[in-house]
Amino acid sequence: MKFWKVTMKRSVKLSRTYFGLGIMFTIYGIVLSSLMTIFPPDVAPPSPVDLASNFPFLSVALLSMSGVFFSLPVVMLFVYDKNNGVLEYLLSTGLDQIDIFKGYVKASLVLAVYLLSFAVILNTAVGAFLGTGFNLLIIIAVLTVAIGVSEVFLVTVCMVAFSSLQKTPMGANQPAGVIIGIIPMFPALILPIIFPTHAITIDLFVAAITIVASLALLLSVGRLILREKLLP
Amino acid sequence: MYNGGNMQKLKLEEVSSGYGTEEIIHKISLKLTEPSIYVVLGPNGAGKTTLFRTISGILKPFSGKVTLDEINLFNSKEARRRIAYLSHLNALPEEMTVFNALKYYADIEGGDVEYTLDLLKLSELRDKKFSSLSQGQKKRVSVGKIFLRERDLYLLDEPTSNVDPKISKEIRELLIELSKNKFVLYSSHNLYEAREIGKYLIVIKNGELKFFDKIENVKTKQYRVGIKTLNDISSYLNAKVENGYFVFTVENPTEVAKIVKDLVDHGAEIIELRELDNPLQEFFEE
Repeated sequence: MKFWKVTMKRSVKLSRTYFGLGIMFTIYGIVLSSLMTIFPPDVAPPSPVDLASNFPFLSVALLSMSGVFFSLPVVMLFVYDKNNGVLEYLLSTGLDQIDIFKGYVKASLVLAVYLLSFAVILNTAVGAFLGTGFNLLIIIAVLTVAIGVSEVFLVTVCMVAFSSLQKTPMGANQPAGVIIGIIPMFPALILPIIFPTHAITIDLFVAAITIVASLALLLSVGRLILREKLLP
Repeated sequence: MYNGGNMQKLKLEEVSSGYGTEEIIHKISLKLTEPSIYVVLGPNGAGKTTLFRTISGILKPFSGKVTLDEINLFNSKEARRRIAYLSHLNALPEEMTVFNALKYYADIEGGDVEYTLDLLKLSELRDKKFSSLSQGQKKRVSVGKIFLRERDLYLLDEPTSNVDPKISKEIRELLIELSKNKFVLYSSHNLYEAREIGKYLIVIKNGELKFFDKIENVKTKQYRVGIKTLNDISSYLNAKVENGYFVFTVENPTEVAKIVKDLVDHGAEIIELRELDNPLQEFFEE
């Protein structure tokens, strides 16, 4: 079995709490996505914001956040393995730091894709059952996967980098990675409300930029962070 | 046990290394050309672990280079794969069973888990969670991971610490067998263990190489010998009494045989004869 697969499985076993949180966010996202269908707004246009059209977009945030929660255990495992000497041993077997970073990032991404897929399928099924517009459900699904995956990518790379660079053990710098990683999520969520006609384009653009930035960061981190930073 | 080593030479040329900007080991040069056990001795903080991490290619030397058969170790994944490095940490996923923990590494770098379980007599622990094992059992499993597959060079940082004497002996026997055709660098604080298993001695102090030669060539200024007897021998042996031993010093161990013969001729009933100090002790003294 490949390194990233083992890492993914270990993460799932080690930290069930975060999966619980992820599922909670997924449920909130589904409720929010269907809220306008269940309770149609009686605010007649011209209101400042077209709630009926834009409100479901907020669910993209929660569904995307569930992806971040699902992948957090992978980075916690990274810190755990660093402190335990597992990363040191992996380096001694011939792996480079970039191989190790890639392993954890890939585990995080694949895990996020699995669970985000589950979240959007569930959301689409519930939405279809309640009568939410099919186009809207598809848009939510696409944007959730795009923003969710790009967020998870950036959060994981940031957290791995910060965890490697910290001098004291215990992973105290991990939250900094989460905070930096989720910053691009805000324009992805706010701009579509301000410019509703370009909502999809804006979100996909933000997701694409985030993915490119994450990839560039991953490659830079692999080069700039020395092997010794992975020592316990 | 593995057969046939391919490695010819490990060479350190003026290697200085450390962490960040702090240099821990200074201009160490070594050339190892014979499969054997090389005991690395030195007080705490001497730089032994840094030396091992540098040889294993984890730390990049500040200056100088480490080569394995002329291949620069830091730059070559292939060369690094020929090395096994056992750090002082167990370095195994605590949440896994013994079998799965070893399989974790076998999946990544290849290797035979069943063979390792048999070799280290770990079969009875195979389904136990690693975190539930005693410190000694954990160390055994940890040692096991370096036997998953064959390598040419083994870097072992205190492999018998926290292990009971019986297991310690078994690990030493394994390493002695291994060293017939492999290079084994073995760091230890135990001078008697070092003397028992090592053929060569490498002494590191304050990050500098202080001694590198065969252990049998370690010369000491004087040997202190203790004799325990059933009768009083103080009238015909110039010795101090310490903890029930008659203690005398000689400049050469060969003198002891003659002294013992004289004592027996004078009617001494010897029940114990021992060397009181380890010649390697002086390497720890300031």
